Amino acid sequence: MSTAPKPSESEKKSDRIILDKFQPVFNRDACQMCKRCIKECSYGALESKGNRIWYKGGCVACQRCAAMCPTRSIEIRQVPSQMAPHATYDDRVRQAITSQASTGGVLLSSCGNDGPYDHIFDDIVLDAAQVTNPSIDPLREEVETRTYLGRRSGKVTLSGDGCVAESDGSGPIVAMDMPFMLGHISLGAVSYNTQKSLFMAARNLNIIAGSGEGGLHADFFQYADHINSEVASGRFGVTPEYLKRTAAVEIKIGQGAKPGHGGHLPGEKVTDLISSTRMIPLGTDALSPYPHHDIYSIEDLQQLISVLKESTEYRVPVGVKIAAVHNVGAIASGIVRAGADFITIDGFRGGTGSTPRVIRDHAGLPIEVAIATVDRRLTAEGLRNRVTVCAGGSIRNSADMIKVIALGADVAMVCTSALVALGCRVCQSCHRGLCAWGIATQRPELVSRLDPEVGAKRVTNLYNAWNEELKEIMGAMGIDSVESLVGNRDRLRYLGPNPKIAEAMGLKHAGEGWG
Amino acid sequence: MHERQNSGYVDLRDEYPLLPSYGAQRPPGLERMMGGCGIAGTIDVTGAKMSGEAIGRMLTTMSERENGLGAGYSAYGLFDNELKDAYCMQFFFDDEKAMSTAEEFLKNRGDIIKDERVFTQKVSTMKPPYPIVWRYFFNPNPHSEKFRIRDQHPDECIVDMVIGINGTIPGAICISSGKNMAVFKGNGFSYEIAEHYDLGRYSAPMWLSHSRFPTNTPGWWAGAHPISLLDWSVCHNGEITSYGVNRKFVEMNGYKCSLLTDTEVVTYLWDLLVRRHHLPMQVAGFALAPWYHKDIQRLDPRSRALAEQLRITYKEAFLNGPFSILVGRSRPDITMIAMADRKKLRPLLFGRSGDGRRLYAASEECAVRVVEKDTAETWVGNPGSPMIATVGKGIVRRGTEEPFQGVFC
Repeated sequence: MSTAPKPSESEKKSDRIILDKFQPVFNRDACQMCKRCIKECSYGALESKGNRIWYKGGCVACQRCAAMCPTRSIEIRQVPSQMAPHATYDDRVRQAITSQASTGGVLLSSCGNDGPYDHIFDDIVLDAAQVTNPSIDPLREEVETRTYLGRRSGKVTLSGDGCVAESDGSGPIVAMDMPFMLGHISLGAVSYNTQKSLFMAARNLNIIAGSGEGGLHADFFQYADHINSEVASGRFGVTPEYLKRTAAVEIKIGQGAKPGHGGHLPGEKVTDLISSTRMIPLGTDALSPYPHHDIYSIEDLQQLISVLKESTEYRVPVGVKIAAVHNVGAIASGIVRAGADFITIDGFRGGTGSTPRVIRDHAGLPIEVAIATVDRRLTAEGLRNRVTVCAGGSIRNSADMIKVIALGADVAMVCTSALVALGCRVCQSCHRGLCAWGIATQRPELVSRLDPEVGAKRVTNLYNAWNEELKEIMGAMGIDSVESLVGNRDRLRYLGPNPKIAEAMGLKHAGEGWG
Repeated sequence: MHERQNSGYVDLRDEYPLLPSYGAQRPPGLERMMGGCGIAGTIDVTGAKMSGEAIGRMLTTMSERENGLGAGYSAYGLFDNELKDAYCMQFFFDDEKAMSTAEEFLKNRGDIIKDERVFTQKVSTMKPPYPIVWRYFFNPNPHSEKFRIRDQHPDECIVDMVIGINGTIPGAICISSGKNMAVFKGNGFSYEIAEHYDLGRYSAPMWLSHSRFPTNTPGWWAGAHPISLLDWSVCHNGEITSYGVNRKFVEMNGYKCSLLTDTEVVTYLWDLLVRRHHLPMQVAGFALAPWYHKDIQRLDPRSRALAEQLRITYKEAFLNGPFSILVGRSRPDITMIAMADRKKLRPLLFGRSGDGRRLYAASEECAVRVVEKDTAETWVGNPGSPMIATVGKGIVRRGTEEPFQGVFC
């Protein structure tokens, strides 16, 4: 950057229409001038001058200063629009244009798609039991949420002595206490303390957590029984030890936040820790290729699945993760036929630590439609009971989780909610590596802000609560075990603006009974 | 058969507007039927035949459990000589055209050994239409080019044909297709259906029966229970909350749901697990109503391994929600299976006559006592645990044993 020519005075002026979207407002009477806010702001947005705190610019609304102010005298406000109103060239459009005109680059962003698309989840309503079947109170009666991940044979054969015949059991299976897993969040995108919190929580909850594509730090081998290790196109940190230790292996073809793109970890985040775990040089951008360069078609995928099964000695299930794209049903079918033990579908609102904004905001399919399509396609081909299907990409709460299961997922994949539990305020600045909450950063002074013990407890609390809510809802539906909810679209109704969407998902419209 | 009217019972149809009635053709807009019901079954394990009059009394006495929108009976061990080895295919036809189309369908796929009208008589209180009820003793020809897959086992040919007819010939429904068994069912009260078919003229070593209290669905002759495929027939009281999942599972295994009752899915599941996957009946019963994971941990290692594998592999076969079912089959031996869901949310009671020859399973004890006043012993089974009784073997399971008793050797 030092070689880049300095912007001229007139260039600076045209850049000036990029306005700050947020600004902290101070209650001067309450402020004690302890200057803690200045220390907490990793974006350097505050300064003290003349015995007052002043806002310099660059606030991302991460809320760190407001949360840490001992006298609660800071409030983050959205700055009122200063531009002339225009419904087509809204502020967002104008700012993007201006920004690109200044830099000439691809705009980066993070977290999930923040565009104003409809949330189909919010257009779906759940059924409950009345009269003809009794609802079940999970506080008094058993309601089960145990979930298995792995391949199934579709048939149990008993040998002469009545025991299950060896050949006709299932493939390697992972048992989880709850029908969800933590998605892949790599060490690199997030801090050591963040990943530790997540792995500890996964162990507490007896579920699995994704390693992300950054390999597995030696300190985390102790959590290996609860880790789903990712093999992505960069193959960062993929060693036999990494694969063999963990509970499951997942080939990452795509990610909902950036379908068709590889990983992108800016060099600033590649510290000693990351460099040793990923096995890449210090300070270099870790750019994983868009496709796997040994997978240019489905038969290549089949080979990689076989190779991974061989190298893990058929001890763990091997899955494939894809982004939800238009032909997702057929692709999923091919993946099952290629031998995957589980498939993960990631919807277009899925999160990320860094992605080109144009991809994040415009490519892919909502998970609601994608999962229903995959479930129907695999059912039609008689494959659905052979494979475990996971789905994620904006599962915001237990209601979304319940709906995604009823739409066809065995397992809901959750990510952003776990980070929010750790302190994330979804300010969408992960790609800058300055996360004031110690999550999406590698700066030691920021990383230490997150206590893994506290973090793990909060994530555990969150998902225990979701699981309780799942039991409550299933009980109300008269269902006492979660497998009877999987793909049970009969118990959902569509209450949205577009009946065609309901048709694509195989849902009846609200008001339609059974006869 | 008219005890209810004699005892001052008020026919609800005098008070509420009549729902329309349908024969073989599916009622328009009907996508799934549900409701509460009464079930009763009896088997003589020595193989001695019992008159159909007794089962009629057993069912009819549970008068709170029906509202006149469907009842039915199935009889096992009904035929003699060469007829008992042929598939007895019984149909509802709405008209002659449906009948001739179905007959053509049969003739293209095998030999009709004998056919006859099933005896029916007008019952003054029953509302038309009455479908034509016809019976064909039939042997399929697995080499027929009409079969999509040739040279299958004759059972598979029959399954294909039943699914083919029920799905494609308007106004024709195959209501039973097993060997040495037949189903008698229709839209009416239990005593009306018994009189309509004059059940007293039949005697058989095993009878199952069902009366229906549907919620807001029209009466439909073909949709009444028992629902039957091959020699399986199922009477079912309950509402399966996992229907969408179970339906997907049977459809993945080649069945096609045309009757839209959860009972149809239950029937196909028994056929799939026992006939096609060769699971012992109590193992199939466990797959349909499995133990809780925490209870499975209490089992011995062999049983635990089997239980866990069943829960994993057959998770879509798990029937969730309240039910009690009676299941009958004629091959290899005439057998009655009776079980309730794993929380036992619907009633089911077992009974045995003083001389031990007759076994009973019913929703209410009165159904047993009406034919076996003081002499019968009665008991209840465990949730999800099947009672199994077989002609020639006696009582195989009382429904109170460990889940896999008798499976390992």
